[in-house]
Amino acid sequence: MRDFARQSALIAHKDLLIELRSRERLVSTLTFAVLVAIVFSFALDPTVRPVRIAGAMVWVTILFAGMLGLGRSFTLEQEQDALVGLLLTPIGRGALYFGKFLANLALLVIAAVVVYLVYALFFQLSLGGAAAGLALVTFLGCVGFMALGTLFSAVAASTRLGDTLLPIVLLPLLIPIVVFGAGATQLLLIGRPLAEVGGNIRMLAAFDLIFVALCTTVFGTVVEE
Amino acid sequence: MRIWAAVLSILAAATMVWAFYLIFFYAPTELTMGVVQRIFYVHVPSAWVAFLAFGVVALCSLGYLWLKDDRLDAIAISAAELGVVYTTAVLITGPIWGKLAWGAWWVWEPRLTLTLLLWLIYVAYFMIRNATENPERGKRFAAVLGVVGAVDIPLIHLSVQWFRSQHPQPVIMRPEGPTADPAIVETLFVSLLAFTLTFFALLLYRYGLERMRMRVDALRYRPTTSSVTSAEGAFR
Repeated sequence: MRDFARQSALIAHKDLLIELRSRERLVSTLTFAVLVAIVFSFALDPTVRPVRIAGAMVWVTILFAGMLGLGRSFTLEQEQDALVGLLLTPIGRGALYFGKFLANLALLVIAAVVVYLVYALFFQLSLGGAAAGLALVTFLGCVGFMALGTLFSAVAASTRLGDTLLPIVLLPLLIPIVVFGAGATQLLLIGRPLAEVGGNIRMLAAFDLIFVALCTTVFGTVVEE
Repeated sequence: MRIWAAVLSILAAATMVWAFYLIFFYAPTELTMGVVQRIFYVHVPSAWVAFLAFGVVALCSLGYLWLKDDRLDAIAISAAELGVVYTTAVLITGPIWGKLAWGAWWVWEPRLTLTLLLWLIYVAYFMIRNATENPERGKRFAAVLGVVGAVDIPLIHLSVQWFRSQHPQPVIMRPEGPTADPAIVETLFVSLLAFTLTFFALLLYRYGLERMRMRVDALRYRPTTSSVTSAEGAFR
């Protein structure tokens, strides 16, 4: 257990260090998120009150921006067969997955914070009152998203289709995250109390637990040659 | 095994004829929906078989990841192909009925939504399989999706039901209708039996085909050994 935590922390540290040096994933993800917000603002009928559909816009942006960043997670390891090197180290397959998952989650959480700020700025949303609830719902949604996302980005990276395959596999599986996440976000943004989204939060937490455990277990079969 | 497939297909064909006789000549015409209600006898069994197929895919995928037995993978892909066929049948017959009964081709009804998502997961299953250079990895990737999908399906089901409850309920008739005429129930059960038998007959044939394909592949990708033996023969 101790080894598992230490090993996954090492992998996460490695990934975040690479990101800190290159900043390519964060820059592309954040630029993309801002662009989606701009596209929404032009595509929307000006008579629609943005606060009524902000939950949907926020989650669509988080999902698409996250998907864009995920593509890099394992294509990076394909370069010069870095993955083979990682598999040769005494790090367990589960810890390798969990480390990658933590790094992806950290990057997605940063992106999600920026998404909220951009939407608050562009669409005059007031986040202040519901900040804690929004943070909780969004974090839980991101955990579930990255649990499945990390597993299938490893799958997609070793196929011919690569990143094209990722959204096709991932989006149908992520419907529960969209339903519970966007639903709760919408209610919180229009000023409903946190107690009203308790059911959504429990469902998101259950989804997270199930898929973090399951994906950690089956990851080994994905990377083995 | 071929005998089993033949026996099953004869049984399936006989039951199907019986089911069709019941559907068109025996089952009474439903009062409110009229003749279109008869599509129910194809729609419901197709849905049942589609979910059965997905269950088979999930179990065999799990078994394949565990035991690495190619036979399990052959059953999984056979069931997945049939699953796509039957899910497509559900998604075609559903809207035809829905247009006449609900007045709309599509509504975001939980079961309908779940079936659509199931169909999309099946499609992804084949895309993953076909997009890998190394067929062994393709099998494993597809099996991973089979397992993850099977765990996700109940959660998707819960979430789409939740999604509905967040919206005002449209004034729809429940697909079953209020009727429970014994003739209707009887016809449905015969039809369910016919579809299930057909599914297993097709599964056996498709499995036999997949095994044959595996054997051909094994023979084809053994050029070095065969060339060595033929060379030995020439020397002798």
